[in-house]
Amino acid sequence: MFVTAETAVAERPAVQVASASRRRGSRLPSLNLLAATLVSAAVLYAALFPVGPLPALGPAFNPITGAWTMAADAQVTDRTFRLAGLQQPVKVLLEQDGTAHLTAQTDHDLFLATGYVHAKFRLFQMDLMRRQGEGRLSQIVGKAALDSDRFELQLGLLRTAEAEWNALAADDEAHAALLAYAQGVNDRIAEAESMHQLDAMFTLLGYQPRPWSPIDSLVVKGDMTQTLNFTDTPLVMALLNKSLGADLASEWFPILPPNAQSPYDLGPYSNRSLAPIEAPGLVSDAEAASANALLDRLEALPPGLIAKGGASNNWAVGGAKSSSGGALLAGDPHLHLTLPAIWFQLTMDSPRYHAAGVSIPGTPVVLIGHNEHIAWSLTDAQNQQTFFYQEHEDSTHSGQYLWNGTWRRYQTVNYDVPVAGGPTQHLAVKLSVHGPVISERGQTTSVWWAGNVPSQDLRVLLDIDRSRSWQEFRDALRGWYSPTHNFVYADERGNIGLISAGYYPQVAKGRPWLPMPGTGEYDIIGTIPFDDIPQAYNPPANVIWSANQRQVTKDYPYYIGTASNFFNPGYRANEIHRVLSQPGKLSASDMQALQTDTRDYLASEIVPVLLKSLSSEHLNATEASAVALLNDWDFRMETGSVAASVWWYFWGWYLTETFNPWWKSRAVKVGMGEVWDALGQDLEMWTLADPNNRAFSAPGIGSRTAGDALRKSFRQLIADLVKMLGPNLRSWTYGRVHKRTLENLADVAGLNYGPRADRGDANTPLAAGGYPSTEGPSWRMVVDWGSHTFQSIYPGGQSENPASGWYTNHVDTWWAGRLNPMLSADQASTAAGVRAWSMRP
Amino acid sequence: MEHATVRLYLFLLVAGIVAIAGVLVGLWWAPFVVGLALGIVVRRGRIGVPIGAAIGLLAWLAPLAIAHESHGLGLTATSLAAIMGFDHQPAVPLALTLLLGTLLGVTGAWLGASSRGVVTSVRSGT
Repeated sequence: MFVTAETAVAERPAVQVASASRRRGSRLPSLNLLAATLVSAAVLYAALFPVGPLPALGPAFNPITGAWTMAADAQVTDRTFRLAGLQQPVKVLLEQDGTAHLTAQTDHDLFLATGYVHAKFRLFQMDLMRRQGEGRLSQIVGKAALDSDRFELQLGLLRTAEAEWNALAADDEAHAALLAYAQGVNDRIAEAESMHQLDAMFTLLGYQPRPWSPIDSLVVKGDMTQTLNFTDTPLVMALLNKSLGADLASEWFPILPPNAQSPYDLGPYSNRSLAPIEAPGLVSDAEAASANALLDRLEALPPGLIAKGGASNNWAVGGAKSSSGGALLAGDPHLHLTLPAIWFQLTMDSPRYHAAGVSIPGTPVVLIGHNEHIAWSLTDAQNQQTFFYQEHEDSTHSGQYLWNGTWRRYQTVNYDVPVAGGPTQHLAVKLSVHGPVISERGQTTSVWWAGNVPSQDLRVLLDIDRSRSWQEFRDALRGWYSPTHNFVYADERGNIGLISAGYYPQVAKGRPWLPMPGTGEYDIIGTIPFDDIPQAYNPPANVIWSANQRQVTKDYPYYIGTASNFFNPGYRANEIHRVLSQPGKLSASDMQALQTDTRDYLASEIVPVLLKSLSSEHLNATEASAVALLNDWDFRMETGSVAASVWWYFWGWYLTETFNPWWKSRAVKVGMGEVWDALGQDLEMWTLADPNNRAFSAPGIGSRTAGDALRKSFRQLIADLVKMLGPNLRSWTYGRVHKRTLENLADVAGLNYGPRADRGDANTPLAAGGYPSTEGPSWRMVVDWGSHTFQSIYPGGQSENPASGWYTNHVDTWWAGRLNPMLSADQASTAAGVRAWSMRP
Repeated sequence: MEHATVRLYLFLLVAGIVAIAGVLVGLWWAPFVVGLALGIVVRRGRIGVPIGAAIGLLAWLAPLAIAHESHGLGLTATSLAAIMGFDHQPAVPLALTLLLGTLLGVTGAWLGASSRGVVTSVRSGT
């Protein structure tokens, strides 16, 4: 090509463009590689490592070994497999609904197989429970759980479990049972890891469960003890005392209940070693400040770590009052309703054990159930087992406290708390003679808690599982420490009994319902002798019952706790007593009906008084309609009832109307909700028997009576309900405002059941307090020894795997108030749809 | 059909089988490795990268399809959606899972192809 100057000039830019393009072209592959490397690195990083709340995505969603395997894990088929540690073959039958029947030829194999079966269906739950008690939640969920971990390590479930394990002799059957159980759990962990069938939550949280140990089982038992009876009530009482004054505090929060209750043990009582109780006195500023600081800390903890009043029912009917001629027993412990449930249903058969009922995953025993001779159930006894001590310190004795006239050094235990996504935290726990120091803000406060007394409660449960008579049952319970339970009993010979077994700590002097000085004079000096604790056997009326009410009358000579918060107000117990005491014989179906009884005893007392107070009032149309509905109401808290809604709201309005002015004028730092039940008992009694009580005439309100407060509350309530629910009173059904939720244990809201409209309230035998209600009958059992029938149900299912058909399969039956038959292993073997596992050594 | 094309198809088939087999034995990262090899071997990046994506998708889809056939994955997908905070949207965990498989395949192939591009560029002196 001939290039002229013109063309050369003309082409110069083109040449320049081509040259620049080549330079850019030479850079493009490098830039492409850089971009590919960066994007690949980002994808691989997210796949290999956790990022923020996300797990490592590769292993988590690996289609073969990741979370998707929960589909395979949900399939339960007939199996024959080897299990390390077995001595003889074991047969496990799984009913169509998941109920497990274990038949072993040795006791050792029975416990081992129980561990395996528990872990097969509930390993993540078990791991969470031990982690909670051992202060190891932060290791998997991060710093959000640090407060809980610090508190648990201070409180000391782990130290207590270690002490209990160390105290168990090698030839003790509890020792052998715990070891065999742990082996079974570890067999399942190994199998699940090898088959990639660990619960999806392990995969998603990115960790493997460590091997199970006997100490873990003892910690799980400790979790339950803590949930049921570690209380902050003395701190609450100290603040009430300070803000309301000693006179009002002692009047409104008395030791003995102000209202009429139904104790089951009517005496006569013996008095072998009476401990003195001091009259109420004023709490000092320093004591109140210290209590306030500690209470703030405890209130900030996750729900469930502090006992907030129990709600459970059990009762028995003697053969003479039973239509079948045999003793009847009914039990429904009320707990936080979770998915998976706290319970796992099974039968355990071996040469020495033939127990059926429910166990807590993590422990190798049937806790509530029956064997061939006896049946038993339990409710929380509610007596005071938590005592706070304010240690005496001064600046000249650093790191020491004064006790019995001498300065003592605190013992210190050090812990490292691993935290997911953060540095390991160090915690030094100080221990005084009273127990762990749990607050050093203001005065140093330590806590004496019966749950920290090393016990052999597990052996007690093993003995109960094998008991054949009241004598054996009662003897076994001599060794039971904590939590104090009302153990109800019925046997094949028609006998019934109830005993509130456990420690009833007694102080040398002082006011145990408040924090006490730690200088020695106020220490725990013992417990009520076993023969003096509340109990009854074959009472003349042939019925016996407990529902967390105070078990004894005012004549009982020992201090067991105050009316406020330690014990239930007694409305469920009163209703149960009312029904059981009616003339005529009772049947198993009557027991079932009573378990789902929605009659509110308190409403039956107060509503007539309310209606009477309104009888001469001029009412508007809505108020008059509400009055008409209340007039016709049977006091049952059913979902279709409008009157139930009116009552439910009314009681809250009435309490607030009466006490809120006091709370405001005295600047009470304790929320009214904390002492709702105690105030309710007062208000109940004043409304019924003391309408001119000074409480109705709060500062700034002027002089008034119960009737004035009733009328004002009612009018205000109706006006507010119109605003809240609309003018159509017929639409104010209880089911619209009262719902129940079964909460996923791992706090995954999407795996909850509900909220769903439900009947009952906190006062009805079918307990459903709160909104939405998350606590209630966690297990219902009805036993009829006359017809030899055993029935039960619990809300949930046997499997923790939400992809399993056994995750919520019992819920509808439970919700409807129906029961399933509790089959024996023999009966289950011929049932439809049963699956069999053959375990070989 | 030309030999080169047949070889390419055979190679792709083997790559796909290796990726699926890898995931089936639990090696979730197999699509990335296979994609990397694919990107290096296949000269035309515009073909290699989408094929890497397809292999990644297939390698993670196949085991899920097998699991669905034998156990049903509906409840599992619903549960995973709930755990992840996507209530009642079972398609979300499924889509995320398949997206991850696809991303592993596509990034592997892209990385391989771009590496090859650099080598080619250096050799050609441009």
